[in-house]
Amino acid sequence: MLRAHEPIAGAPATTGAIEVRRVTKLFASRNGSAGVEALRDVDVDIRPGQFVAFVGPSGCGKSTLLKLIGGLLDPTAGRITVGGSEVAGPRRDIGVMFQAPVLFPWRTVLENVLLPIEVFGLERRAATEKARQILNLVGLAGRERAYPRELSGGMQQRAALSRVLVIDPPIILMDEPFGALDEFTRERMNLEILRIWQEGRQTIVFVTHSIAEAVFLADRVVVMGTAPGRVLAVIDVPLPRPRSIDLMKSPEFAATVFEVREYLGVAR
Amino acid sequence: MSKLRDHPGLVLSPLSFVVVLVLWEGVSRAGWVAPIVLPPPSRVWDGLVILFTASWFPQHVWLTTAETLIGFVIGGVTAILLAIVMVNVRLFKEVVYPYVVAFQVMPKVVLAPIFITWFGFGMESKIVMAIAISFFPVVINTVVGLESVEENASLLMRSLVASRRQIFCKLAWPTALPSIFAGLKTSLTLALIGALVAEFVTAKEGLGTLITTFSFELKVYLVFAVIIVVSVLGLVLYGLMEYLDRKVVFWRRSHFTG
Ligand SMILES: Nc1ncnc2c1ncn2[C@@H]1O[C@H](COP(=O)(O)OP(=O)(O)OP(=O)(O)O)[C@@H](O)[C@H]1O
Ligand SMILES: [Mg+2]
Repeated sequence: MLRAHEPIAGAPATTGAIEVRRVTKLFASRNGSAGVEALRDVDVDIRPGQFVAFVGPSGCGKSTLLKLIGGLLDPTAGRITVGGSEVAGPRRDIGVMFQAPVLFPWRTVLENVLLPIEVFGLERRAATEKARQILNLVGLAGRERAYPRELSGGMQQRAALSRVLVIDPPIILMDEPFGALDEFTRERMNLEILRIWQEGRQTIVFVTHSIAEAVFLADRVVVMGTAPGRVLAVIDVPLPRPRSIDLMKSPEFAATVFEVREYLGVAR
Repeated sequence: MSKLRDHPGLVLSPLSFVVVLVLWEGVSRAGWVAPIVLPPPSRVWDGLVILFTASWFPQHVWLTTAETLIGFVIGGVTAILLAIVMVNVRLFKEVVYPYVVAFQVMPKVVLAPIFITWFGFGMESKIVMAIAISFFPVVINTVVGLESVEENASLLMRSLVASRRQIFCKLAWPTALPSIFAGLKTSLTLALIGALVAEFVTAKEGLGTLITTFSFELKVYLVFAVIIVVSVLGLVLYGLMEYLDRKVVFWRRSHFTG
């Protein structure tokens, strides 16, 4: 059900590789003074099916980079390709999850999950069955007909996750998806993400403030610095898969976390 | 019982009403105020009985109600359409919006005599007045509502490569509904005011006409009775809108907690 690479109607068939080449993003300021250089000369390579985390201090351009990859912003200079084709705008083979769940309060959970299906103009009946299965998978069985405000923050993010999964995108971009949740819920959601990724092998780009979260989840951690936003280091995480919480006790985990922290220390 | 102790207003509010009525009746009977200036409640009650037993009364109520509702519907619908065009066509909004704000600020009742001149003594001039007065709050509330779409929500729709039409129908319109209904509720009350004011100026029928006629005839108790009918009419119309609002905008926060 969660196999990632079935082609989606209207979407180009891609393998999920992401290439960011010398990308610079300037935001012009309104009052004509010098703008903000959110990113300078950023290079990132992501292989299909890879789980990559971006970490860095606030304002280093993580969200900007994610929006550029998703085609929600245009780069000032440089080039981004996804699955070999240049990103020229939003595309349906990329699913995006934001820090806030962004559920529509006038739609039930199920209707929210079916929103992409409606927008894509896909057949609703088959999708409804699939949406129910996904809601089961993320632990929202029985809450299909609830309205978002009747759910806890964690449940709302699960619904938002289901809304991404329902279209089986080969690439998923997540911008601090669990940043607003408590530690405990967050950990559970992370394990769920890993489980889903293990099955679907999507390419996942995951933005976070938490170094431990980045190391625990990702194959590679892209460490970013501010002013201007840039890539400081790319660190491969030498931890085996599948991963469990116990792994956080291992010396390799601690060493990788420390390595990331050192790079971030240099950034200041 | 404990509920009453927590909210003494539940008892005190109706009680104070009764006290005022009794005092008012007493003052009037004692002859401290001439009944022709301030008729006692019992006399106003007689007036109400007269109105509701008179064969000519219902048509006045219907006429004012019809003027109000027709004006409200025409004004509301065109206001919403105008707002939709303004939000979607930037240049149009830049040209027109300043005028909308200017008209919003202007006290529209000054237009009543002109409307009578233009549209005659009949129902039409009252409807136009109701439109004029109920139009602008809806325009402004619709524009504000349509523009209050959250950044993340529109990013979500864009990430799905939604068409403009889909973004409007699935996101902007529902987002705007609470604000639109707030405007419509204000507008319906204003439409009633518009119809009545136009009737005050000149009309052959309608509740506003009854008020002016009875005042000239010094039948103050009947004036009071019509005022009560008008107030109840206003309350009923507002209640209907409130009901519609709760049904349509069922997700609004206050409705869940309220
Ligand atoms: N639309 C915009 N217009 C102007 N400047 C912007 C815009 N979006 C981002 N910026 C600027 O670009 C820089 C990077 O912002 P971005 O949101 O990408 O940071 P971030 O790494 O996601 O931070 P955080 O961790 O706080 O979310 C910041 O200096 C920000 O002020
Ligand atoms: Mg961010």
